[in-house]
Amino acid sequence: MSGKGEFEPRIIGFLCNWCSYAGADLAGVSRIQYPPNIRIIRVMCSGRIDPAFILEAFKDGADGVLVAGCHLPSDCHYISGNFKALRRITLLKEVLKDFGIEPERLRLEWVSASEGDRFASIVRDMVKQIKRLGPSPLKSKEKNA
Amino acid sequence: MENNEPKIACFMCNFAFCQTEMRIPSNTSIARVNCIGRIDPVLILEMLEKGADAVMLVGCKPPDCHYIEGNSQAEITVKVLKKLMCLAGLEPERLKLLWYSPIDKKSFSSYTKEYTEEMRKLVLSPIKKAVSESPLMINILAAKNVASEFRLRVLLGREKELTESVNVYGEKIPIEEFNSLLEEIVASEFVQQKIHVLTQTKPLSIKTLSEAVGMKPATVLRQIVNMRRRNMMTLDHIEGTTPFYKALEVK
Amino acid sequence: MANQKIGAVLVVGGGVAGIQASLDLADSGFKVYLIDQGPSIGGVMAQLDKTFPTNDCSMCILSPKLVATGRHPNITILTNTEITGLDGEVGNFEVKIRKRSRYIIEDKCNGCGICAQKCPIEAVDVFNKGLSKRCAIYVEYPQAVPLKYMIDREKCIGCGTCYEICKAKAIEYDQKDSEATLNVGSIILAPGFEAFDARLKSEYGYGRFQNVVTSIEFERILSASGPYGGLVLRSSDGDIPKKIAFIQCVGSRDFQLGNNYCSAACCMYGMKEAVIAKEHTPSNLDCTIFYMDMRAYGKEFDAYYNRAKDEWGIKFVRSRVAGVTEDPRTGNLFVHYVEDETPKTEEFDMIVLSIGMRPPKNVEALAKNFGIRLNSYKFCETSSFSPVDTSKPGVFVCGAFSAPKDIPESVAQASGAAAKAMSVIASERGTLVAPKEYPPERDVSQEEPRIGVFVCHCGINIGGVVNVPELVEYAKSLPNVVYAEANLYTCSQDTQKLIREKIQENNLNRVIVASCTPRTHEPLFKETVQEAGLNPYLFEMTNIRDQCSWVHMHEPKEATEKAKDLVRSIVAKAKLLKPLKKPLINVTPVGLIIGGGVSGMTAAVELSKQGFEVHLVERENELGGHLSTLHYLLDRDDPKAKLNALIKSVMENDKIHVYLGAEVADLTGFVGNFKSKIRQRNGEQKEVEHGIVIVATGAIEYKPTEYLYGKNPKVMTQHELEEKIANGEFGARNVVMIQCVGARNDERPNCARICCGQAIKNALKIKEVSPETEVYVLYKDLRAYGFKEDYYREAATKGVLFINYEDERKPEVANEYGKIKVTFWEPVIKEVVQIEPDLVVLSAATIPNPDNKRVAEMLKVPLTKDGFFLEAHMKLRPVDFATDGVFLCGMAHSPKYIEESIAQACAAAARATTILSKPTLEMEGIIANVNEDLCSGCRICEYLCPYGAIEMKEKDGKPIAHVTEALCKGCGACGTACPTKAIIMGHFTTEEILAQVKAALVEVEA
Repeated sequence: MSGKGEFEPRIIGFLCNWCSYAGADLAGVSRIQYPPNIRIIRVMCSGRIDPAFILEAFKDGADGVLVAGCHLPSDCHYISGNFKALRRITLLKEVLKDFGIEPERLRLEWVSASEGDRFASIVRDMVKQIKRLGPSPLKSKEKNA
Repeated sequence: MENNEPKIACFMCNFAFCQTEMRIPSNTSIARVNCIGRIDPVLILEMLEKGADAVMLVGCKPPDCHYIEGNSQAEITVKVLKKLMCLAGLEPERLKLLWYSPIDKKSFSSYTKEYTEEMRKLVLSPIKKAVSESPLMINILAAKNVASEFRLRVLLGREKELTESVNVYGEKIPIEEFNSLLEEIVASEFVQQKIHVLTQTKPLSIKTLSEAVGMKPATVLRQIVNMRRRNMMTLDHIEGTTPFYKALEVK
Repeated sequence: MANQKIGAVLVVGGGVAGIQASLDLADSGFKVYLIDQGPSIGGVMAQLDKTFPTNDCSMCILSPKLVATGRHPNITILTNTEITGLDGEVGNFEVKIRKRSRYIIEDKCNGCGICAQKCPIEAVDVFNKGLSKRCAIYVEYPQAVPLKYMIDREKCIGCGTCYEICKAKAIEYDQKDSEATLNVGSIILAPGFEAFDARLKSEYGYGRFQNVVTSIEFERILSASGPYGGLVLRSSDGDIPKKIAFIQCVGSRDFQLGNNYCSAACCMYGMKEAVIAKEHTPSNLDCTIFYMDMRAYGKEFDAYYNRAKDEWGIKFVRSRVAGVTEDPRTGNLFVHYVEDETPKTEEFDMIVLSIGMRPPKNVEALAKNFGIRLNSYKFCETSSFSPVDTSKPGVFVCGAFSAPKDIPESVAQASGAAAKAMSVIASERGTLVAPKEYPPERDVSQEEPRIGVFVCHCGINIGGVVNVPELVEYAKSLPNVVYAEANLYTCSQDTQKLIREKIQENNLNRVIVASCTPRTHEPLFKETVQEAGLNPYLFEMTNIRDQCSWVHMHEPKEATEKAKDLVRSIVAKAKLLKPLKKPLINVTPVGLIIGGGVSGMTAAVELSKQGFEVHLVERENELGGHLSTLHYLLDRDDPKAKLNALIKSVMENDKIHVYLGAEVADLTGFVGNFKSKIRQRNGEQKEVEHGIVIVATGAIEYKPTEYLYGKNPKVMTQHELEEKIANGEFGARNVVMIQCVGARNDERPNCARICCGQAIKNALKIKEVSPETEVYVLYKDLRAYGFKEDYYREAATKGVLFINYEDERKPEVANEYGKIKVTFWEPVIKEVVQIEPDLVVLSAATIPNPDNKRVAEMLKVPLTKDGFFLEAHMKLRPVDFATDGVFLCGMAHSPKYIEESIAQACAAAARATTILSKPTLEMEGIIANVNEDLCSGCRICEYLCPYGAIEMKEKDGKPIAHVTEALCKGCGACGTACPTKAIIMGHFTTEEILAQVKAALVEVEA
């Protein structure tokens, strides 16, 4: 599928159990194809996603991180976890710049249980975008060090 | 002129073949096969695509068949291929199924001569003049895809069993009913495959597709809905109020 | 033997109402048979895209309920099933059923769907309203429960492909229909409704014009998993419309068609569809709604209506559309209507018909089988004071079958019907259900992690793409993995046995299944490891099907590598897994009810029938609440007699302790274990312990400041008028009623729901006692929803004049020389009219009880902006609060009619019974834990917790966060925010997640 040596980004996806994980499942049930670059980690709520998880993921060599939760304002299974995620991720994007990581490598998306197609297109789009950005600057730094 | 002589590709069953008897006209090429019932329909379409003016399948006269039902399977294949050729804009006469036995009084070469005459009236296959992205070539490509489609192959493989013997419920399906079902499936598969071929290179709108396949936009939309369900197609982008669709790679 | 009561209930209909009733019954210790005519449960709600007024995704909120129903040990779902006969009586019914063949062995089919991938035959997809196709072997929708395929025998040609392809051997072509007899103690009917056939309204062109669709078709069009992927398209040419018209009341409020009633939900869903269509359309979209009255009568509905107008720019045109014509060239449509007495025509790209609700199909056969009476429209007959009882004892009704209604009303009625169905067999609780017994748990704390990995082929669903043998070998090579194997189907019954054996043989203390989605299959495997003596939280799962093999079908190599990453990642997590305890909480089987109106009293009586003690606290010195001000009802029932009977049954009930002139002064504790102080009339405080609280504080009538109220004795409220009529003091010759006084204004934007009915009721009463009296009703929208439309019509027929006014031209009431003058705009004659009535009657809004604020703070539950109590979820949890063990009903929730209050009261009782019926409650083990040494007492967690599960407790002189296990839902928001990392989230610890991240990103040499 991809030529030898072409950069294949490694993306970590943190998905909330109730909407986004279900949306990713629906993409599967509907056999909607997307590139195999994402590794999904299930959490109960997008409000559980600690900015530290994301920073660690970048440190461990992720080229991109996707955080997906229930749609604003009221889809969250835990009332307001999505708002908490929104605040944290918005802030974290600013912080990422200080680390020299392009904020586009971190995406916060709302995916409902019936949006399998949307989930797949987010992954497709993200892979395309990160391919353009190239490997994570943290990774190359590490290698040079 | 030599160039104007119709080229006929002939697939011949081993058991109908008898070398000593055979004088083969120069416009005819013969490929021997174990049984014409086993010929992949895609192969036949490929011969036409590559420039044969006609294809002839030569097999043993029923009920003689070394493989018992090979010749009746060939009949089914030819039936569907002729439908596909019609849809693709090729004269169905360009495919002929001939029952032949070396002990026939009429010689093989006279059969081919007759067929060559017939083909001469049709003049040359339009494919010869067609360039690679012409409607005809797209049609042939689509027809080939239809012929290799699993769903259709299941039906072709089961036709005899379902219409002559019984199905899993112990019922026999009347041949007319089966044929109309087959016709419907071939037609809708053909449109879908054609849309698929057309949208492989660039995303197209329903309006453009509807002109290309000669069908109402509403019908094209229905086909696209079905193709999206089957993961053959995706929405690419929207211009104004018009969605553009693109083919997805299908294994 | 025939009089022996049976602890089982039959629920007919698997829509959201049937599902809710089944869950409540099953959670309260009864066996449930849930039957549905179709192949899966979910009903119409499964077809909806979004739900009003929150715009929640319908499938997101329904699907957990579907899964819970499908897995509930006390619920047996019987699909493709019809009732053929009924015998016996309340307490002991014998129901004959016929189950149509699926041609699939349900126990064997695991829903992998490979059959549908290979089936050569296509059929019309009924679920998607014919807008797309499905195969001859199918499930209705991807999230269907039960997820069992079915053969469409009409379409199937019997080619045998599915049989050959099905590795689970689930296909059975010679499966026959089967008959059976069920023994149940009571029955709930929830067969739902049938959508009106829009073809019957031929002037709107449905079926002739391609771009005219019904509202249900439009729901599928809007749905992301629908035929157009959620993009609104015209069927004629696939273009995105620029202008859509919504035509309301199609098949409703239509006397000619014989459907005079209002379908109650269409105004709101029409508006919602318009809003969502705009949201889903990338280009500019104009939406116009043609309506007669905008009936946004429910909780927060008018706020939605206002947003639809102001924020979303939906246009509203008050007009009954006369007809629709088509421009055959463009497929565009012309809507012909009359506005301001002028005929008009407007062109649109697409039209959506808001179709009404009809009684379910075969309703006569259903009624005959169950021996129940139907009303004149062939819906189930009920009455104001028994909204969920049918005419046959022991048979109850809920949902749209008793009257057209929306989802929350259906859900409330469903719980209400469950309460009724339980109460007739309360003595048999727990007799037909047995709690599952597990072996004692093995202590693994001293053991090194020994992980077993089970990789599922899922027939060829996984194995056809991912190299499973390679994956198994890879798993074996990972640290701490001592056993790995592949299974054809890891979820099959024989594999469960095998997993248990392997746990014993290999002394496994962590188990991983690499297969499909934990959302549906994790509970099954957790149960399996628990049966083998392991703590269920020592199980983990990774999804290599839905999120790997199925989405990378053409990249087997990459998919295999991804599967390895996923397995490695989950193994890293599993190593760190800790056993978790599910906290057990004792339950005090006593209820506390705040408010002694019709709702509070009904809830008290229902709880006592279930066998529980109740404390009923009423602030006034008498029971009765708002109902005691009513003298007659629309349906001619006698409210006084009913109220007295209800009060008597409360006062004489030795399980119900009534406190009059009292209030709950303080409340502490949590579900199962509340403590309250009741301040009594004599000033004494009494402390009571109880397991649940029901809030039934009711509402009050607004005291108008408008229209000279209080300044002129001829101006009064509807209640005061009713009092006057009842006392025989009515003698006016000319009456003007003004609607929406104190409601639908800037201060209180929402509708008070019951005033239109009140006005019609009093107008009809006036016409009864004094037929010559002229009655004018000045209204904004006449919201006589459901069957109340009949009374509206009756009043109009009897000469009551209904005159519409808009906010821009409100009526004016003036006092001139002792005479009262009402001036208003008459829109038909287009003139300002002035009349001198003897009485001006104001339909004053029903507003929240001022005490709500105090009660809300005491219970730590929220209020709406208006000051009514706010339930846990507007759609599916209408009588629950987000706080477990606290419920609400009646007008404390929002203004409502008596039958709605009673249904909610019964519902609150049923919801409470799911707790009170258990001696102990088992809570979820995935909860937050505080490491007290690390806690700095900063209170961030306390502030963030949406459930109030964290409180600060003094320890060694400093405040320390403390988690109330019973309240924690395990979202993890607190743990994430904790600056000192003192909060540990069970099963999703920071270490576990980081290990998972790290392992997923390890560079592997391919």
